[in-house]
Amino acid sequence: MTTILHETTADAVRLADLRRVYGTGPQAVTALDGVTVDFPAGTFTAVMGPSGSGKSTLLHCAAGLDRPTGGTVTIAGTDLGPLGERALTVLRRQRIGFVFQSFNLVAALTAEQNVGLPLKLAGRRPARADLVRALDEVGLADRAGHRPGELSGGQQQRVAIARALVTRPAVLFADEPTGALDTRASRDVLALLRGIVDRHGQTVIMVTHDPVAAAYADRVLFLADGRLVDEMTAPAPVLTGARPGPGAGGPATGSRLGPEAIAARMAHLEAGA
Amino acid sequence: MTFALATVRARWATFLGSFVALGLGVAVLVSTLLVLVAAQPKVPDRYAGAQVLVRAAPAGADPEAFPEFLPWSRADAGPLAGRLAALPGVESAVPDLSFYAQLVRDGRPVGAPSEGQHNGHAWSTAALAPYPIVAGRAPAADGEVALDRDLGHAPGERVTLLTGAGPLPLTVTGTVDGPGFHVADPTADRLAGGVTVIGLRLSPGADPDAVAAAARDVVGDRADVYAGAGRTALEPEFEGRTRWIGAQLLIAMASLAGFVTIFVVASTFAFGIAQRRRELGLLRAVGATPGQVRGIIYGEAVVVGLLAAGGGAVLGAVFGPILGDLMVEAGLQPAGFTVLPDPLVLLGAVAVGLTVALLGVWSASRRAGRVRPLEALREAAVDRRPMTPARWIFGVLGTAGGLAVIAAAPALDPEMLVNLMIYAAMSLIVGLFLLAPVIIPPVVRLVTRPARGATGELVREGALVAVRRVASTAAPVLVTVGFAVLITGLFEIQSHAFGTQRAERVPADVVVSPDGVPGLSDAVAAAVAAGGGTSAAELPTRIFVTGPAGETWPVEASGVEPAALAAASVSVSSGSLDDLSAPDALVTTVGTAHRHGWQLGGTARVVLADGETATLRVVALAGDHALPAPVLINRDTARTHDPSALTPVLYAAGITPDRAGVEGLGGLAATPAEYAHRADAEEDRLVRIFLLVLLALSVGYTGIAIANTLLMATTARRRDFAVLRLTGATPGQVARTVAVETTLTVTIGAVLGGLVAFAALVGLRNGYTELLGSPVDLVIPWSTVLPLVATCYLLALLASVLPAHRLAAAPPTALAADRD
Repeated sequence: MTTILHETTADAVRLADLRRVYGTGPQAVTALDGVTVDFPAGTFTAVMGPSGSGKSTLLHCAAGLDRPTGGTVTIAGTDLGPLGERALTVLRRQRIGFVFQSFNLVAALTAEQNVGLPLKLAGRRPARADLVRALDEVGLADRAGHRPGELSGGQQQRVAIARALVTRPAVLFADEPTGALDTRASRDVLALLRGIVDRHGQTVIMVTHDPVAAAYADRVLFLADGRLVDEMTAPAPVLTGARPGPGAGGPATGSRLGPEAIAARMAHLEAGA
Repeated sequence: MTFALATVRARWATFLGSFVALGLGVAVLVSTLLVLVAAQPKVPDRYAGAQVLVRAAPAGADPEAFPEFLPWSRADAGPLAGRLAALPGVESAVPDLSFYAQLVRDGRPVGAPSEGQHNGHAWSTAALAPYPIVAGRAPAADGEVALDRDLGHAPGERVTLLTGAGPLPLTVTGTVDGPGFHVADPTADRLAGGVTVIGLRLSPGADPDAVAAAARDVVGDRADVYAGAGRTALEPEFEGRTRWIGAQLLIAMASLAGFVTIFVVASTFAFGIAQRRRELGLLRAVGATPGQVRGIIYGEAVVVGLLAAGGGAVLGAVFGPILGDLMVEAGLQPAGFTVLPDPLVLLGAVAVGLTVALLGVWSASRRAGRVRPLEALREAAVDRRPMTPARWIFGVLGTAGGLAVIAAAPALDPEMLVNLMIYAAMSLIVGLFLLAPVIIPPVVRLVTRPARGATGELVREGALVAVRRVASTAAPVLVTVGFAVLITGLFEIQSHAFGTQRAERVPADVVVSPDGVPGLSDAVAAAVAAGGGTSAAELPTRIFVTGPAGETWPVEASGVEPAALAAASVSVSSGSLDDLSAPDALVTTVGTAHRHGWQLGGTARVVLADGETATLRVVALAGDHALPAPVLINRDTARTHDPSALTPVLYAAGITPDRAGVEGLGGLAATPAEYAHRADAEEDRLVRIFLLVLLALSVGYTGIAIANTLLMATTARRRDFAVLRLTGATPGQVARTVAVETTLTVTIGAVLGGLVAFAALVGLRNGYTELLGSPVDLVIPWSTVLPLVATCYLLALLASVLPAHRLAAAPPTALAADRD
């Protein structure tokens, strides 16, 4: 697969003073309290935080699934604020990929049909070769004709990733993508995400509570009470395109964040909260 | 049970479909049962004072619903009454002398035609009620009458009664507090035919049962004796007949309602359970045994069944009396009929409702018990084995059974044909529903072939993996379309088949038909003759023929004038019609003659309508369908022995309608074309009432079932819609996908329902063709089918697309958060 061209200087996602308040009056809950952060294209960012810190809300607002109460979300140069529900759906379909903890595949469709669905919803007829290639990318070319019920959890999540990438989105959001998987399947999925960042310059933003998962990212953002409170960045530069291949990719290599360090930072955060 | 209660409370939407279906089913059952229970015969008022009643035995060894009673001649009735009066405890024995009488007021006959049939009585019979004189005095001579004071005629006024012979002027001598017209006994003796009832008035303190036993010894086999409540058997025939027709409708309603209820309740319960596989799997996962899961399902059925059946019973108790009034208005129950909410019926219906609910979940609960714990973790319901062995067996049996009955239609009893075709359709509906998982996939592939893109693919694949869901949602459409088309088709074919017969009647310039009277009196024919016309005024009567073993058979006979027959181009194969001018002549068909051992030129010993025995000469024989009745006799003879006989329709020639002069005699003169049109219109009115009730019932009921099945199906798919939305579908695309799915479902239901109805209608057509010996048209009531399918479709769209759009329009996070 040829390298997808990204404007390396531009940010894939920019959040400016993002606020999200649920409810009104005395019962109002502030989930996001003025978050400003940029996600450069081609980077892999993990968002961590204790329960209720607002990390899922951040992801939902950034992905256009939820409307912020204040502030702006800009995806690949487009401000989501003025967009109507339909335009937002179309933008999501074209520019945003999404992977969930529950794999959210359409049970009635085969793996191949699930992968082709976003394109068909956009009114395009996907070439079968493209779909097979997309499945091959996640290592499931031989499962194209299987329905979700006939696949393991890890396989389903990989189909979901292939589906999220088939429209070549500007950014892939992942909400606890390994939350429902065992250690081995988690490792496969995380290596896959790392691999698409390294090989194709895909931008990935992942919410997780697992330090091991977060260690696969280039940068870890820590959220507490709706604010960004801390940040860790991998020591080596991330945008050279000269990273090792997916087989070598992993938290064990030297230029990476260590899970222990991340865990220690989290523990500190939770103790302070 | 507490768990079941909590589940029902928490997930009421899941049970809504079953609840509504069961509640409405019980409501229909209760209202029809209340009417049926209320529709019991009662002792006729005019016999209320006769503690023991003696009625002539029915003729024929095999009395049908409306037997013909072999009357006593006047010569036999008198002495018999004398012997009965002599029994200990009997004060008097009164032979009931009754005849056709109807009051004419302002040139129009008054009162319901059917009641006029035997509304004239001898004054002596007033003692059987008793109806004492409330003003004036009893009639004592010819030309005198005592009548109901409610009619508003004071003693001394002149009134006109219409009788079989024509109008009879009378003077009111007294009024009574009861219906009917009482004339002096000698007058009644001339106006009445044979005696079939003798009423016994007992002395104070006499035991009716003892008297009845003594009376039985006197009459032997010749009559039946009734005492006490048994006297309800003497209900006037017209009331019994009305009641019988009403009962047929009610039974049809109740069985249709029962079938639809069981069908819909079973399918909605099964559907609800199929949708809760995850939850049930979870229960199994946390340690519930299959038996406990079944127990929970039954518990829910009991809760829903009790609530729904209770509500339905209350609803039915409210609608029962309304239905009763409607039936009186439509002439399907006698006037004065009232419905009371019988607590036993209500309790019984609740029990039935509960049983239906339990039966409905029976198979579903077995399935639920087999849900494996792991299914809680599985993605979504994909039917792995949609066809079970039981489904195969009953599906094939139901379909084959229904088809076999339809194929056998030409050989079936014509009386039973309509009902059998309805049962065949029910059997086919059940069979096709069970076989739906086999039928649906090829249909889906065929129908969705042109649909490309995401919508087509989603609908096609969705339907193929969830054939049971498609079958369940298509089921109510199948029932609605199947029954509605079948019922309207049945009536259309019937009226076409019998309308053809009417069109084949004799050519005439004017047809005089009864208007407000049960039939035409002789005065009508006289009026036509006075206007310069000639007419064939048949006088249908009844004769009785005694067989070799002493058994007596009723035979339909008609009194006719030979000239009128010739004018109507009736011809005989041997002998001469002209000889019918002799009072003792008889003309019959070859078949009838053969059956009774009569020969041309020989004699036939018969009992006439008044019980007199006569020896008639067989003067001519005709082909088997060449005569208007199996036996023809001289018209004057028929009139003499059956003074209440009336002409049903009179065909006149050489005259125009305006010159017939039959107004005031209860006759309506019209050209044959007008007559045929009007007769159709009248028949149509009754047919329409019948149709409307059945259609409103089945369509209204199944319409609700369609809507709530789809509503259930759609709201339960919140998660599916969320997945689609998160994959990039706009709310409009989700709604469109649901709309296409609904279209597919309705198409499958309507096509299968149409096929069921079509098969049953073909059976009916073949049966009638066999019966009538001439081809009967197959009528498909398109004017009913198309609006009906459109209505079902609209209803289905509303019930599925609206909630789907509402669910899909919500922000996708709300949907995504709903992880169950």
